[in-house]
Amino acid sequence: MYYRQHNYTRWIFVLPALLVVSVLFIYPFLSSIFYSFTNKNLIMPNYSFVGFANYQAVLADPNFWMSFFNSLKWTVLSLVGQVLMGFFLALALNRVKRFKWLYKILLIIPWAFPTIVIAFSWQWILNGVYGYLPNMLVELGLMDIAPNFLSDRTWAFICLVFINIWFGAPMIMVNVLSALQTVPADQYEAAKIDGASAWQIFRYITLPHIKLVVGLLVVLRTIWVFNNFDIIYLITGGGPANATMTLPIYAYDMGWGSKLLGRSSAVTVLLFIFLLTICFIYFAIINRWEKESK
Amino acid sequence: MKLKKFFSLLLPIITGASVLTGCNEESNKNVNTTMPKDGQELVGNITFWHSFTQGPRLEVIQKAAQEFEQKHPKVKIKIETFSWNDFYTKWTTGLSSGNVPDLSTALPNHVVEMINFGALQPLDDLIDSIGRDKFAEASINEGSVGGKNYSIPLYSHAQVMWVRKDLLQKHNLPVPKTWDELYTTAKMLTKEGVYGLSVPMGSNDLMATRFLNLYVRSGGGSLLTKDLKVDLTSPLVQDGIKYWVKMYKETSPKDSVNYNVLQQATLYYQGKTAFDFNSGFQIGGVKANSPQLLDMIDAYPVPKINENDPTPALETSNIPMVVWKNSKHPDVAKAFMKTLYDKDRYITFLKAVPVGMLPAIKGISEESAYRDDPLVTQFKHAETIIADAVQRGTAIGYEHGPNVQAGVITNQHIIEKMFQDIVINGTDPMVAAQKAEKELNNLLDIISAK
Repeated sequence: MYYRQHNYTRWIFVLPALLVVSVLFIYPFLSSIFYSFTNKNLIMPNYSFVGFANYQAVLADPNFWMSFFNSLKWTVLSLVGQVLMGFFLALALNRVKRFKWLYKILLIIPWAFPTIVIAFSWQWILNGVYGYLPNMLVELGLMDIAPNFLSDRTWAFICLVFINIWFGAPMIMVNVLSALQTVPADQYEAAKIDGASAWQIFRYITLPHIKLVVGLLVVLRTIWVFNNFDIIYLITGGGPANATMTLPIYAYDMGWGSKLLGRSSAVTVLLFIFLLTICFIYFAIINRWEKESK
Repeated sequence: MKLKKFFSLLLPIITGASVLTGCNEESNKNVNTTMPKDGQELVGNITFWHSFTQGPRLEVIQKAAQEFEQKHPKVKIKIETFSWNDFYTKWTTGLSSGNVPDLSTALPNHVVEMINFGALQPLDDLIDSIGRDKFAEASINEGSVGGKNYSIPLYSHAQVMWVRKDLLQKHNLPVPKTWDELYTTAKMLTKEGVYGLSVPMGSNDLMATRFLNLYVRSGGGSLLTKDLKVDLTSPLVQDGIKYWVKMYKETSPKDSVNYNVLQQATLYYQGKTAFDFNSGFQIGGVKANSPQLLDMIDAYPVPKINENDPTPALETSNIPMVVWKNSKHPDVAKAFMKTLYDKDRYITFLKAVPVGMLPAIKGISEESAYRDDPLVTQFKHAETIIADAVQRGTAIGYEHGPNVQAGVITNQHIIEKMFQDIVINGTDPMVAAQKAEKELNNLLDIISAK
């Protein structure tokens, strides 16, 4: 009798979260799968089942593959930059003795700003007419004419990746710094007594302690960065000439530009399958690390 | 066993939800859709979505709602404000989820899409109660299908050419009357930190489509054929594409490849461009950003291909309001809408953006209360030019009457991507146009197939 009551109580506690998850995740998720098999159009009242036609159309579209490879480039470059920068900042902060709190606040600022503010600020900074970065380069005599950061295919992509690294590195820094502070100080002291070099200390003491945290951060950031929409859309809209078009923007254009919600849903389902596969690989690696550390 | 219990709990919930939904549908059948009589007691809460994000216009609407609530204590008006781009996303997704307001503003192209979806209620009774003859017939017809009017115009504006008079005078140049003259003049003025004319091609707005449409309409053509197919490959349209590519390369900042309407207008507001194409909203922008330039700007007719060509019908926007079919209180919505046309309030609303919003109701522009605004007085010439363009023009793609295809041209931004392809990748204009035309016509086929 006691066991049954206990069981119901557990469900009562879980139910609110379950309902929220159902509304916020399961319904949109299932509706996306459902619509991906229909010719649902945002400005037409009726729709019908079309089987795999949307998937065929999407996979045959060169713009889909271009967006996919742009997304891969965007994610890998952003992630590597964010992790390296976050890692470097965390290691540096961990050694700082005075005003650590001030440096922490200053470094976390990019993360604290709403994306829309960041996007418009950078758009303003990089603008070829009144942006102060291009004009400053000319004033300093480094360039003869103001560079066109956002109207050149390569520069536009590089600028967006740089902004994303600048934006995401503080989050990595805070988490790595927390992990660094859990490394027992006596292990460092023992290593120093044994004459270990700085690299050996990092390789055999620091890294094993923080690699699980870094691994989980990489998983989370991969999903976030791959799905990132706002920074790119607000700064370049996927342009110029699709140079910064990634899969989320492609899906948005398909759904809210072309109104082809069915086809847009097929893109999001493919995106989900790809990210799920990536996550499985990541978690397999992390699980292996966990087993090794035990 | 546990699964059985779960479903035994779930079933009543689903049944309950179905009953509730059924109740809603039932109650909708009893909705009063007719225009209420004067003095009739009104009851109900309504939601109004509008796109008047700027302070003065927003304040007029809010004050109107407060006064309406005071007069009708059983009415509550909830106002939600969205930018035009957000608004389009909001209502298209809202239609799928049933989350649409009672009344809203709209763009002319949106209205036909809304009617096509079956999402609007007719407003003939509202228009008749204000006075059908007070509105320009063309503006009413933009929201009409099957003899019924589904939208009511609130204000009008049109695209004209904005000029920096001081720069022209400094170089002793006349106001260009043809596209070739505009090219020559703009090129001469592209120096000393000023660009002749910025050519915007950002793929999150319709600006390149607008510029191309101005050129094509000035030559008597259209971006839609008579059988409502997209035309980007005819000689006239190709000339237009090549013209704007040349202007981009020689008179425009390179960043304009990503510009939307605000970024484009900001250049003119700040005195960075000698020419621009826009409505009377330019005046307010210049006043806010560079008031010292206010005496130096004016509006002129959009250039023609040849000076002796007939005056073309270009782009007019009659910004309308609509009542949504899902509304539970359309009578309240219509009664509130009618109060926005009360003469004093209407003039106050129009004066929130002087010369930017021209009256949709005849006779208002002659009222002394309207004319006594300093900016209306100062920009009398510009107002005359815009008013003339309003009379002649249509929304982009409406040259053959209101149609849902026009929305595809303006809202997909495929023409903007075509321009980007030409100027960034160096793609041949005909090749890029064929690709864009095919893409747009495929989308039209999808709509037509239903």
